[in-house]
Amino acid sequence: MSILLEEILIFGTIQGALLALLALGFSLVYGVGGLLNLAHGAFFLITAYIVYWTIHLLTSIPGLSYYPLVFGIAAVVGLSSVVTIGAVTYLGLMKPLQKSHIGVVLVTFAMAFFFEQFVKFVGDPKTHYIVPVVPGTVTLLGITFPAQLLALVFGSVILVTLVTLFISKSTIGKSIRAVSQDPEAAELVGINTDMVMMTSVMISALLVGFAAVLYAPGNYIAPRIGWGYLLLAFSVTIFGGMGSIPGSILGAYVMGYATTLTDYLISPSFSQIVPLIVILVMLLVRPQGLLGKKRLQ
Amino acid sequence: MMKLQFDWRSRLSRFRVWALSFRGGITLLCLVGLLLVPLTGREYLARIVITAMILTIFAASWDLLAGFAGQVSFGHAAFFGISGYVTAAFVKFVGAPWFLAIFIGTGWAVVFSLLIGIPCLRLKGPYLALGTLAFALILYNLFLTGTWLGGTEGISALPNIGSVFVEFYIMAAFMVASLIIMRAIVDSRLGTILKAIRDDEVGADAAGINTTVYKLVAFMVSGLFAGISGGLFVLDITAVNPAVYQPLYSFYAIIMASIGGIATIYGSIVGSFLFTLLSEFLRPLAAASLLIFATLLILIIRFSEEGVMNPFLEHVRDLWDKIRGR
Amino acid sequence: MYGIYGIRYEEGKMGLILEVKNLTKKFGGLTAVNDVNFEVHRGEILGLIGPNGAGKTTLFQLISGFEKPNSGSVRFNGVDITGKRPCQIVNLGLARTFQLVRSFRFLSLLDNISVACLSPRGREAFGEVGIDAAASSILASVGLVDKARLPPVILPHGDLRKLEIGKALGTNPEFLLLDEPFSGLAHEESAGITRLIEQLHEEGVTVFMTGHVLRELMTLVPRVIAMHQGRLIAEGPPKEVASNKIVLEAYLGRGEGFA
Repeated sequence: MSILLEEILIFGTIQGALLALLALGFSLVYGVGGLLNLAHGAFFLITAYIVYWTIHLLTSIPGLSYYPLVFGIAAVVGLSSVVTIGAVTYLGLMKPLQKSHIGVVLVTFAMAFFFEQFVKFVGDPKTHYIVPVVPGTVTLLGITFPAQLLALVFGSVILVTLVTLFISKSTIGKSIRAVSQDPEAAELVGINTDMVMMTSVMISALLVGFAAVLYAPGNYIAPRIGWGYLLLAFSVTIFGGMGSIPGSILGAYVMGYATTLTDYLISPSFSQIVPLIVILVMLLVRPQGLLGKKRLQ
Repeated sequence: MMKLQFDWRSRLSRFRVWALSFRGGITLLCLVGLLLVPLTGREYLARIVITAMILTIFAASWDLLAGFAGQVSFGHAAFFGISGYVTAAFVKFVGAPWFLAIFIGTGWAVVFSLLIGIPCLRLKGPYLALGTLAFALILYNLFLTGTWLGGTEGISALPNIGSVFVEFYIMAAFMVASLIIMRAIVDSRLGTILKAIRDDEVGADAAGINTTVYKLVAFMVSGLFAGISGGLFVLDITAVNPAVYQPLYSFYAIIMASIGGIATIYGSIVGSFLFTLLSEFLRPLAAASLLIFATLLILIIRFSEEGVMNPFLEHVRDLWDKIRGR
Repeated sequence: MYGIYGIRYEEGKMGLILEVKNLTKKFGGLTAVNDVNFEVHRGEILGLIGPNGAGKTTLFQLISGFEKPNSGSVRFNGVDITGKRPCQIVNLGLARTFQLVRSFRFLSLLDNISVACLSPRGREAFGEVGIDAAASSILASVGLVDKARLPPVILPHGDLRKLEIGKALGTNPEFLLLDEPFSGLAHEESAGITRLIEQLHEEGVTVFMTGHVLRELMTLVPRVIAMHQGRLIAEGPPKEVASNKIVLEAYLGRGEGFA
């Protein structure tokens, strides 16, 4: 039983770290612009695949075999790509359709398909494996787990803290908060709401891109995985409160521990249902989430 | 007895008037054309048309929920898939005749429409879209990673319900019957109430309508027909696997109904046939075809709904309602 | 020709159709309705005045079930309706209109009213005559029957308000809450609404209406209650309330005109 506690602590934290990266951006975009980005999971997907393809491209170049360097370059390429994709998605698809809430949802839905097919087309429909950049395992509290996941936790904590600080302290962060409270008033005060929303989408893409960069190595990628990550992001934000940053972070870790708990106490396939149960319970009992402010409009 | 006779005669004369009108005439011609397809002896064509007919029912069921009750679901594949799986299971493992299996499969789809509908009651717009998508994804995940009903492989080698040509007429009968019934429902008093909820839920509440009950009714009716199409689909391809739950199928429903005209029911025929034929056309390009298709769709959504999707749909609906004199 | 409808008098407390006790509603830090107490007598026309932001619409929301109060109670015909859902309250006989006119955009005028007639209470009242006949009749009584098959988008503002009242009538109400029925109306349109309200009063419907231009209410409404910043500050005949010092301060103090 005592081993159980440490396992849950470790793996729950890892899961929570991943969920935090996934959910924070999703919640932010909703909080700022009221936009539900159904392509959120696709951002994870495309980052993972770009990293994978870049690694393959680079390792075919003779002389370039130092993996951390190769991975680093791939990561940079992947992250900058996904942030650009985020910006383009916002400018080209979200912004023109923002008056029609269903339009945004529909077009981001289509985007998600697009990326799924794109990845199948440029690559292949098979599952692939990315070699972890942080090799080997690490032992903490008597539990041994892949070191890559430790990198995930560190990365997540650092990034989430950075983003939270950015939003609460910086000038752009102030604008973001202003727009999320009242876009019309913000516009009247001279804030460029478009830039703010685009920035939010880009931050969101960056966060989920980092999730891919940190979590995909040592893991399998396939064209359909985007949807699963979208589902996770959605359930965490429903749980913690759409549009609430502390809510998403708190929700992420609570769900992380809860999922790990069911993993060990019941079974790993049962913990698949945890997002479902969370969504169900939250919708029935408290649709605005734990710390949610915005009504479900 | 006298009353029955009188109704029959007036119905007949109304039918004749309609048949001789432009729209009625075209419709009848298309129907006749449809029924002649199997007689051309081209099995390939018949198969494509069968798929189109099945998906028409699916798209129309989505249209009923979204266009008439205002609940836009992005997870319609859930009802489609549940019914498909149950139908397949009953045919394969229980040896039930296909008709009974579809009946039971549809029943399960209705149950699930309640299970999904109840938590989704408070959700509106994008939230409802995401919520319904989430349920479909969860089912997808469950069947993909679980071991029940065949896991990733699913269930296969189901018996045919007849030769291609027999199957064709059965499917056609289902399609025509389903569309007529759905149209009758939306034209009825129930339909009026659903449309009111769609147009102004608060107003409907203030008019004494129990919006909760009616929204659930809409979910169930929609789920019923989605279930029928799911069962038929599985019987047509004689197999089922988790892919039946994938977001792509939900997307099919949305796109077919949208192309054909939201809030029309019959528009789903147009949308479905166009889509199916287009997919066949692009098929030689294999993986690229779906990519091209996704790109096309993004462009369509982006540019045909420049700014606001709703005024465009409003115009269509307005026109349609005015034509029908309601 | 069918009259507007028949009213069944519920056996309840003598003469009191609505009792509001200690009703309070807070939104975050703002107390929109603060410990409000009043009664409405069956068959009367009662007015509610107050400057913008006084809490009139919130009060209506609380009574009609669209908001739940933090404390206090609302009794309708002796039945406690506090916190009930709007459709439940409507089916007990209490209907309302909205300050910002709403309609079922894609339904014909006739269908707009039919929907209300299709409520349980409506069906009970009109089932025998037929829903369409009843809806037609109501549409006629608000003067819109010639546009029965057209959608609400073609109507001028005044007619939209009449349509709204028609929708409320479709539920066969005993008690009608009219939220700012005169706002945004030209003079003849107002006259039309006034006639309608007088007619309803004659038929025995209790009317409770808000307005913040007192002139229209003066002639129509024998008794008025006044709100300011969530509280009830005065009550009585319009002339009295209009010259009430507190009321004057409330209006003038906020720069509002009076008539």
